Amino acid sequence: MSKYILKRVLYMFLTLFIVTTLTFFLMRSIPGDPLASMAQALPDQIRANFLAKYGLDKPLFEQYLLYLKGLIHLDLGDSVVYAGRSVSETIRTTSPVSGFVGGIALFIGVGIGSLLGIVAALNKNKWPDFLVIFIAVLGVSVPAFVLAALLQMIFAARLGLLPSSGWGGAKYCILPIVVLCLGPIASYARYVKSSMLDTLDQDYIMTARAKGMSESRVIRKHVLRNSMLPAVTLFGGSVVGVFTGSFVIEKMFSIPGIGFYYINSINNNDYTMILGTTIFYATLFVVMQLIVDCVYVVIDPRIRITGEKI
Amino acid sequence: MMMKRTVMVILSLVLCISLLSGCGGNQAVSDTGQTASSEQANKGAQAPVSGEPDKEQYLNTYISADPTSFDVSLRSDSYSSTMIINTMEGLIRTIEVDGEYVTSPGDAQTWESTEDGLVWTFHLGDNKWTDGEAVTADQYVYSLKRSADPAVGCPNGWFLSPVLNYEAISNGEMSVDELGVKALDEKTLQITLSAVTPAFLKMCDATIYYPQRQDKVEAFGEKYGSDVQYIISNGPFYLDSWTRNSALVLKKNPNYWDKDSVKLETINFAVMSETSTITSAYESGEIDEVSVAYQEWVDKFTAREDSKYQKTVNNSILFSFYNTKDALFQNANIRKAFTLAIDREDANIMCYSGLRLPTYGWVVPTISVGDTNFREKAGDPIKEMIDDLKAEGKTPKDLLLEGMKELGLGDDPSTLNVTFSLGGTTEWFKTLGDYLQQTYKAEMGLDVNITFNDWSLFYNNVETGNYQMGYMSWGAYYDDPYDVLSIFKSEYDQVSTGWANAEYDELIDNAGIELDADKRLQYYMDAEKILIKEACVVSPMQTSTTNGFFRKFVYGFNTLGFSNAGYKYVYTSGRK
Repeated sequence: MSKYILKRVLYMFLTLFIVTTLTFFLMRSIPGDPLASMAQALPDQIRANFLAKYGLDKPLFEQYLLYLKGLIHLDLGDSVVYAGRSVSETIRTTSPVSGFVGGIALFIGVGIGSLLGIVAALNKNKWPDFLVIFIAVLGVSVPAFVLAALLQMIFAARLGLLPSSGWGGAKYCILPIVVLCLGPIASYARYVKSSMLDTLDQDYIMTARAKGMSESRVIRKHVLRNSMLPAVTLFGGSVVGVFTGSFVIEKMFSIPGIGFYYINSINNNDYTMILGTTIFYATLFVVMQLIVDCVYVVIDPRIRITGEKI
Repeated sequence: MMMKRTVMVILSLVLCISLLSGCGGNQAVSDTGQTASSEQANKGAQAPVSGEPDKEQYLNTYISADPTSFDVSLRSDSYSSTMIINTMEGLIRTIEVDGEYVTSPGDAQTWESTEDGLVWTFHLGDNKWTDGEAVTADQYVYSLKRSADPAVGCPNGWFLSPVLNYEAISNGEMSVDELGVKALDEKTLQITLSAVTPAFLKMCDATIYYPQRQDKVEAFGEKYGSDVQYIISNGPFYLDSWTRNSALVLKKNPNYWDKDSVKLETINFAVMSETSTITSAYESGEIDEVSVAYQEWVDKFTAREDSKYQKTVNNSILFSFYNTKDALFQNANIRKAFTLAIDREDANIMCYSGLRLPTYGWVVPTISVGDTNFREKAGDPIKEMIDDLKAEGKTPKDLLLEGMKELGLGDDPSTLNVTFSLGGTTEWFKTLGDYLQQTYKAEMGLDVNITFNDWSLFYNNVETGNYQMGYMSWGAYYDDPYDVLSIFKSEYDQVSTGWANAEYDELIDNAGIELDADKRLQYYMDAEKILIKEACVVSPMQTSTTNGFFRKFVYGFNTLGFSNAGYKYVYTSGRK
């Protein structure tokens, strides 16, 4: 097991290196530079002075090596567009905010979603099933910004119960969390439902029932645990998504999260910020993949990742 | 000869998108900060006179994006300008009194220039920084030199172009110590210009002419201006808290020299960019002012009893422009045909829900020369062209055919291959594209291809001359036609039309050093006539406007495009 993990960690570094390299050269192939987005037309000299300040006048490959050198020392550099903002510090201060809002939304979403999925599976083709399908379709098809605008209009503009946007207390979190948890509710409900139906058809369930086990015991002992595998697969990705924030929701609710930097850095050609946020995302992703793979072993004894005999 | 290379206008990407698309168009600022986000919306009614100011003075407002930095040498966007004109004080401040511009004292209580207009002397008053240190001439000298220093990489540095030796310093040919700025004593600042610059005093209102503290810049290093603890202010307000991408709070600065004029104790800025969020926030009472870009919101808010409406004309023009190096658009008649085929009133209604100001000349209607409004004096060249064409009994299509004949392209417009490039991909740009396509088809029987690209790609194509005709916006920095006309000088060619005209260049050069306002006006009028009527290299369409709504209890905001008072004179009276 430890050998396997070590191997995976090495692969992780290889993956990150490839991601960094690809991102670096791809982003530099986008036309324009950081100044193009902030200014319409500048004298060449001003442009040259600006690029020199950020070392962007050097040959591309040299810039790449310099970046890698900084990366080894965990130095992601300073933003090119936001003077004086270090990329690491930006990630450090904004990702917990995204993580907080998104984490609660994910927690609620997974809870409610799984529950709905179970209810739907156990009542297949009855009204609770149709209701859950309805909610799931709604959750997947209604864009978050539409729901957000609707909630803002109702709860802030009309009723005046909640602030329309902002940050700084529980009341500011309610609307964004409601919007953010709808997606997980929909996807987890669907996954858990189909996975449960699948499990219910298995021979071992029939065996359990034939043994005379009570239905609730069958569900609890045999069906639920075996139905959770696909949810775990999904969960890894969801957690990464949480820490990387939601651009649209954070923008609409003025939440000081990291989502803004993902999208805006690309629009602004803020090179260091693009690389920093991408590396952050990639790292989280590969780490979560590893954790998910390890969790499989724990919850499903059938899975052996190393082929060794236990 | 190195003339001042003033005048390129920084339009942030946001500005371009918001103005062009007409959504969230409450941001239009330039270096002088003469118009600024919500405070542009501020250009609302100064009258009517209110009752007693409220005991508790605060204002809740919004800004459409996070400011990049509070470092006057490194900031580049309109949002930071909005903040800095409120937290800093420069030499002078352009304010308005009864709807007229007034150049009021700032750090400089008095100033004078030599007769030839080349040397300016500013006598500083007793303003203090938030930490109690006095504002000195040395801090101005340091600030200007820092911005001019090539190693600092200041994006707005060219705004110092009138100052002696700036060009050479920026090119690295001269030491920054040679900049034409000197502290005669602790409270006397002397700025020497490289050439006479009639608009210099107006330019001094730009944020780049604000002072900086050497001790703080050095102590804070790279962090300077990036967060509350790394910012020091000498203006009416100071930054009290900053939650990135979410909120900024300004508080009244007790050390400010003119603190008795400042009524607001607190200004709360929420960072809000989505129209739905902003309008919901205004409806729920979370913010006290809002500016909108769609007629439906204008109607909705006009109906509200707690609001007053202020429509303000801004300093940004929306226009299409031609690549005069293109095989087709090298011909002036063809350019004219495309310019005159558009009905500007109609376009305003179809593409901007009637909220913009149809414009018939290049210099925006807010700009004046001396005391004379330029547009009022110069008339509407494009209207005249349309009338002349009608008087001759011709249509834009005839012009197009004439042009085609001159180029030997036959007489069937439908054989022409014309591409109109747009720098945006949103729904609004699609509307604009459709409108242009249909109009050209109907007026001239021409099938125009429309391409939609993201701004950076679009602009890259324009800069490299890889386009036929394009569309964008341009904002004026200061109140003089030189600002917007000099961008077409052949050596600058800021719009990348590839057009060069020696007569035009000479008129602009003459105007740039002419101190007599009437003569200057005449030079500018002649120049604009060449630009629009003869050469027709650009086709002005609309001037942007701000449609601001304020709670009835808000008073004292700016109403003119180039006012730079920020929130200094704003107060509330009758807030419940």
